[in-house]
Order: sequence, then C-alpha cells, then structure tokens
Amino acid sequence: MTSGRVDQRDGGDARWERPLGTAPDVWAVFVQGRHRDMHVYAGDVHAPDAEMALVLAKESYTRRDPCVNLWVVRADQIHATAQTAAEMFVPAIDKSYRFGGSYRQQRRVLQSSYKASYREEDQ
Amino acid sequence: MPGVLTAIADPSVRDAFREWLLRIADDELVIGHRHSEWTGVGPDIESDVAMSSIAQEELGHGRALYEQIAQDEGSDVDRLAFGRAPNEYRHAALLEQENDGWEYSIVRLVLYEAFEGARLRLVAASGQEPVAGLARLLGREERYHGLFAETWLTRLAGGAVDGPGRVQAALDAAWPDALGLFEATPADDVLLRAGVLTSSPAAQREAWTDAVRPVLESCALTMPTAEAREGGRRGVHTPAFGRLLAQMTEVWRSDPEARW
Repeated sequence: MTSGRVDQRDGGDARWERPLGTAPDVWAVFVQGRHRDMHVYAGDVHAPDAEMALVLAKESYTRRDPCVNLWVVRADQIHATAQTAAEMFVPAIDKSYRFGGSYRQQRRVLQSSYKASYREEDQ
Repeated sequence: MPGVLTAIADPSVRDAFREWLLRIADDELVIGHRHSEWTGVGPDIESDVAMSSIAQEELGHGRALYEQIAQDEGSDVDRLAFGRAPNEYRHAALLEQENDGWEYSIVRLVLYEAFEGARLRLVAASGQEPVAGLARLLGREERYHGLFAETWLTRLAGGAVDGPGRVQAALDAAWPDALGLFEATPADDVLLRAGVLTSSPAAQREAWTDAVRPVLESCALTMPTAEAREGGRRGVHTPAFGRLLAQMTEVWRSDPEARW
C-alpha cells in the first residue's frame, strides 16, 4: 500500500489519508428497521471512508433498535434548505382538506393485512 | 435437564470437554477485559463505542460458556470467572497481553477472531448440545468483530508515515502468542479420539494460517516466522495476567457472597 492511495472501494474518489490535524469526514447514517421500512436518518459518524463509516455506524446506531440495512452518505453531499426558509413550509390558509386524519378508511388501512404481515415478520 | 457435561458418559471425555469449554470461556473473558480497557480512551468516539461493545460481547460469550459448566456442577458463574487461582485459567497468553497501542489491540483482534470463528464452528460441529447450538449463535457476533478489526487493520497498515512499521511491529510481537492459541494438550487428543473434535491443534493452526495470510499480505505485511510461545493452555501465564486478574476481580473479591 502506498502513501496517499485512493481507496477504490469507495468509488475511487475517497482519499482516506490526510494530513494530521484534519478532521475526518462526517457521514450521515440512515437505518432501515425492517425490510419494508424507509431508511431513516439516525445521526452521524466520523470516518475516513464509506466502509469504515458503515462499520462504525453499526455499533453507534443499531445496538438497541432493530436494523436490517444501513446507508451512509457523505454529509457534505446532502443539500438542505436554508434554516431561514422555514416559513416557506407553513400554510397561510386552512388546508385541513389535505389531511386524511378523519377518514375511517385510514383506520382500515392501519389494521390491514399489510400491517399484520409486519407483525408476523417481527416475530 | 442434564447439562452438556453430564450427558457425556465417558469421564475422560467429559473432563476433556470441560477443559475445552473453560478454555474458550477464559479466552473470551480475558480478551473482553482487555478490550474494555479502551473504553473512554479509544482513538475516536465511534471506535471507542464499537470496541466497548465488542468487549461486552466477548464477556457475554464467556459468561454463556461458564454457565454451561456451572449448570452441570451446581457452581456459580462469578466464582468460576473470578474465583480461581491464576494457574487454573486456560486462556492463551495472546489474550492477556497489555494493550500496547491501538495497533496491537487491532492486530490481536484480527488474529484472534480468525481463530475464534473457526473454533466456534468446530464446537458447532461437535454434536454436543446445547453447546453446539450456542456456538452457532455466538459465531454470528464474532463476524462483526472480525470485520471491525480488519477494516481498522487495513487503514492503519496503509498509513503514510509510521503506520506500516507500527502494525508490522505489533504483528511480530503478537505472533508467537497467537501461535500459542493452538497449544496441544492431552484434552485435545482425548476429544479427537472420541470424535468430538474433528481437527487437531496442528490442523487448526494450518487452516488459521491460510485464513490470516491473505488478510495480512493484502495489507503489505510480512508473515512472521517466529515460533509459538506456549503455556497458557496449561495454566502457565505471564506477569501481565497477574495484574489483569487482580484488577478484574477486585470488586468480586471485596464480597464474594454478594448478589449483584
């Protein structure tokens, strides 16, 4: 292994070696609890490359809650809206017609066989 | 329900299998204690958490195996783990050595996990229930330990400045003790003849060497040629173990009858 090598397992662009005193990259960790769940952001790890980030994320974020799959994404690759833009998301007029909360249908969906199969999977 | 030992009719095979169980449990207890010494002082918070977690798991494996013996003999797990004289412990010297830098602990973990995974597969194939089933279960956790260790080893050995030299030095230091994992004792012969074990210490060592060689060589490390340093399997330990045992058992010795 030569100095300053590029780690090919990380897509070839991840130079994991760097001058002393440089902080390692921050990786956002997404945990999938069960096979049909979406991956949910759980927190960050510091790691020099994706493989190490996955290895460290396993112990940092899956020791208590169930997990079947992990994603890690370089935090600087995540684009975010500005904090000052928060009011853009606040409705100015009544939009309760968009909420399904009162639909009896919703309760049926929640109690459907889809959820029941989840319970089976959990056992 | 009779335990795994009382189910073995031949007393010499029973004693030999007890010796083997104790050896595995002692290995796990002692390396678990060494790993736990990194808690709070690991190289970064994530690896600190991971190493601490590995330490807990190794201690848990040790406990599960001590329980198999204790259950058969009506004894107490804590007394088995903490209440023996130093020469009654059967772990290999590799596991008792001080954590001489993160690179030593990582090299030791790489060498030990390759051994431990194969040993648990041997136990799983022994037909001695319920220990065989337990070994299959414990093997699942060892997989992550090996992955963590090898991921770290690759990064340390690939360092630009003094990484490769320090990892090689750690490997050279650990190697004779690692070969001591395979120290042959009369118990191995008895279990081989009885068909409980299907691989001799020498054959296990050969398979282990074949398994670790590609890992080490892919890190541009040189396979050491030093001879084995033995004794641990017969209860002969280094001064490092005396210090470890004194610290590890301090709380238990303060009141051996206490229920925690």
